[in-house]
Amino acid sequence: MIRTEGLRRLLPAAALASSLALIVSGCSSDSNGGGGGGGDDAEGTVLNVWAGAQTPLVANFNPYSTGIQNGTLGPIYEPLFYYNRAASGDPVPMLGESFEFNEDGTQLTVKTREGVTWNDGTPFTAKDVAFTWNYEPAKPIGLVSAEATDDTTVVATFETAQYTTAAGLFMAAIVPEHIWKDITPEEAGAWTNEEAVGTGPYMVESTSSQAFTLTKNPNYWEEGKPTVDKLRYLGINDNNAAQSLLTTGKVDWTAMFIADTEPVTADGRIGMLNTPQDPTVIYTCSNAELGCTGPQTDVAVRQAINLAIDRTEIDSKAFSEKAGIISPTFALMPRDQKWVAEGMPEESPQSADVSAAETVLTDAGYVKGGDGIFAKDGERVSMTLVSIDGWTDYNNAAKLIAEQAKAAGIEITASTASQAEVDEQKTSGSFQLMVHGVNGTNVADPFQIYRDWFTTDKTQPVGTTVPQGDWNFSRFSDPAVDAAVTAAAATDDDAERLEQYAIIQDAIVTDLPYIPLVINSTLSFMNTKDYTGWPTEDDLYAFPPSWGSMSSGIIAANITPAD
Amino acid sequence: MKFYVRRIAFYVLTLWFAVTLNFVLPRLLPGDPATILLQKLSRLGGEVTPAMIRSVELLLGTDDGASMWTQYWSYIGSIFRGDLGVSISNYPAPVTTLIGEALPWTLALVGTATVISFLLGIFGGAWVGWKRGTWADNVIPATTLLQSVPYFWLALLLVYIFSVSLGWFPIIGGWDTWTFDNPEASFAFFLDALRHATLPAITIILSSVGGWLLGMRNMTVSTLSEDYITTAEAKGLRPSRIFMTYTVRNASLPSIAGFTIALGFVVSGSIVMEQVFTYPGLGRLMIQAVQGNDYALMQGVFLVITLTVLAANFIMDMFYGFIDPRARHNG
Repeated sequence: MIRTEGLRRLLPAAALASSLALIVSGCSSDSNGGGGGGGDDAEGTVLNVWAGAQTPLVANFNPYSTGIQNGTLGPIYEPLFYYNRAASGDPVPMLGESFEFNEDGTQLTVKTREGVTWNDGTPFTAKDVAFTWNYEPAKPIGLVSAEATDDTTVVATFETAQYTTAAGLFMAAIVPEHIWKDITPEEAGAWTNEEAVGTGPYMVESTSSQAFTLTKNPNYWEEGKPTVDKLRYLGINDNNAAQSLLTTGKVDWTAMFIADTEPVTADGRIGMLNTPQDPTVIYTCSNAELGCTGPQTDVAVRQAINLAIDRTEIDSKAFSEKAGIISPTFALMPRDQKWVAEGMPEESPQSADVSAAETVLTDAGYVKGGDGIFAKDGERVSMTLVSIDGWTDYNNAAKLIAEQAKAAGIEITASTASQAEVDEQKTSGSFQLMVHGVNGTNVADPFQIYRDWFTTDKTQPVGTTVPQGDWNFSRFSDPAVDAAVTAAAATDDDAERLEQYAIIQDAIVTDLPYIPLVINSTLSFMNTKDYTGWPTEDDLYAFPPSWGSMSSGIIAANITPAD
Repeated sequence: MKFYVRRIAFYVLTLWFAVTLNFVLPRLLPGDPATILLQKLSRLGGEVTPAMIRSVELLLGTDDGASMWTQYWSYIGSIFRGDLGVSISNYPAPVTTLIGEALPWTLALVGTATVISFLLGIFGGAWVGWKRGTWADNVIPATTLLQSVPYFWLALLLVYIFSVSLGWFPIIGGWDTWTFDNPEASFAFFLDALRHATLPAITIILSSVGGWLLGMRNMTVSTLSEDYITTAEAKGLRPSRIFMTYTVRNASLPSIAGFTIALGFVVSGSIVMEQVFTYPGLGRLMIQAVQGNDYALMQGVFLVITLTVLAANFIMDMFYGFIDPRARHNG
């Protein structure tokens, strides 16, 4: 049937030739191999960074786009002031030099830095700040007007006091008016801004689908910085591969979870910092008035679960002993120490107290049934605890919680669902219990969590979707908390604010709409042999992960190649 | 002629059905892309700024209220214009650009590996069948064992041994990003790309050659018991001639049919392989699209896969109709 005798003879030969080519080329061109680590090659020092990006990389350096690449915020664009989320302390002046509020906190005057130029040579002035604040995608909520009164002063007026929200405004990227005035707000989301004009220490050099390179901005305003010539941001699809690249010296700076860090840090070349930031909690659909159903709507059941779980075991078995200890006040310890009100606990109980849990339930009228599970009015204390399938730390935590609760006569069924399903349950309120995360605050103050996760404004009845940007998924609602949040936002006085926090903390520590578990670890790895000047345990001058927005720019500007 | 018309009509109908299914399926998935996008950003460690939430809303949040029916027609229309929309998970890259960049890598790597695997399987299998009853029979269990090893595990093992420990091959990528900023048309780049393709190719070959070997070996054994082989032997033909012209040629027919189908699936790439090796192919895009509820990208990738599978089948159908008259009459 196949008549071409010649072709048939050729096939095996061709196959042999091509497989030989593969093998030979595999062994021959080894010379390219070693250039990665330390990064001293012909083009100068190159710091290889992985910030979690996966291939294909799409060149997009637009701060208002969802496809924004790591390295845009910080290395390229800078904020007015940098608030260090890793430590308490005053904001660091960047493009701004100082700021002050008027009496009631509704008018803000910022002095901007002189002598800064955009990386295309145009001088930076207060007009750029005013433009950014007025620019639709970046416009802060409640802004009445913002204008530059001279080249170094910008005055903004707001509807309400901005003491608690100014940090967000100050941390936002400032964009150049002469470029962005031609981009309409409608276009802003889809514009890729491939030749980003910023004030930061680095600027875009080249991009590809696997990596992009930033080169140093020769006119950077901070004298003598940066000293590392280039940053190369890589796209890596798989954590195992990233870990291999880190150990073989192809990646110098990254942040990811590695359960066993010993092999990575063993030879002393790679340093590690753990800066736990984001709480992991059990969301409970807590509010029967807004339509939640199930035993967890009873505060006694939530308190019993809180007492029945063994957080030490959860940390060691589900989080590889790397998680931080959580405070039920949601103040991040020790950073937010001063915001924990008198008499409020700094830590959630770290071991299980079964008898205390059972006492809480008994006092609330529950009776243990023959199956060892408490019940009241014929309803057994039995709930489902969902977590996202494949997020193994959460899945394991859920299983442990189920076991631990069982010992205290509470039946919890741990189940998993796809991310999309969990999101749906979360936003619509059709869950009972859920192991999930709470976003840590960007500044050393838990206010943002109180406002976004605990106020009535930020929730919806069960069945109605909680909109993007609102986070009160437990449907918690307490007029006293709402009032305290409003009052705290209106004062610049720490003592006064702490009084309001006392009200909030008292309510949430008792009511437990989110049952605190642990603070998620944030592991950063950096090449401390070839580069110096990284943040350390003792000098956490900036938040160390490679993906940190704004902080990554400060770190990149401060590290220097080791001799 | 009637046969060809009937087949072509059948394929047009299948194509329409596939394209429609392609439209419906992603919309049956739970969850909305905006929430998933934000969640992914915060899980990956990105800080979700209010500006970002705002632009996600501008981008996806507002339901423009278009009915399914309107969406369907604009979808069909844009397919004909070659406009597959904008990817959300790789915002704002057009789907056609993403596929265009990924397709050559997948075609080159998975295509070549599939061909090598097939040829190795055919000739190896024939040889093992020819030597039946000797030690060569042990080759089959060994290769099927390799095939049963989980794909990602095999890949990780190869990376660990040859890349991390021995340092012979790169760990990730389609080319060396530490040397070349972008793909370029130079011999050095070509060698580098080949070197990067080696381990992924070996993974594919190791985990697929067993099937070809086994099938071919068994066909060879049964062909060898045919009367015409006995006749050929009785005529005193050279064993090499009996092997190539009488045995391999006849025994490989079913495998060739299977090979056409395998070629059709080349485009869907080797999803796991591309994940482990961070290889810039189409399988990678597919995972991303599914995880991110990225309808446009999903539809684009599935469309390309559907088209190639259909095309491969079509060619095989035509080919069979051509070489085997029975297919034309009965089909």
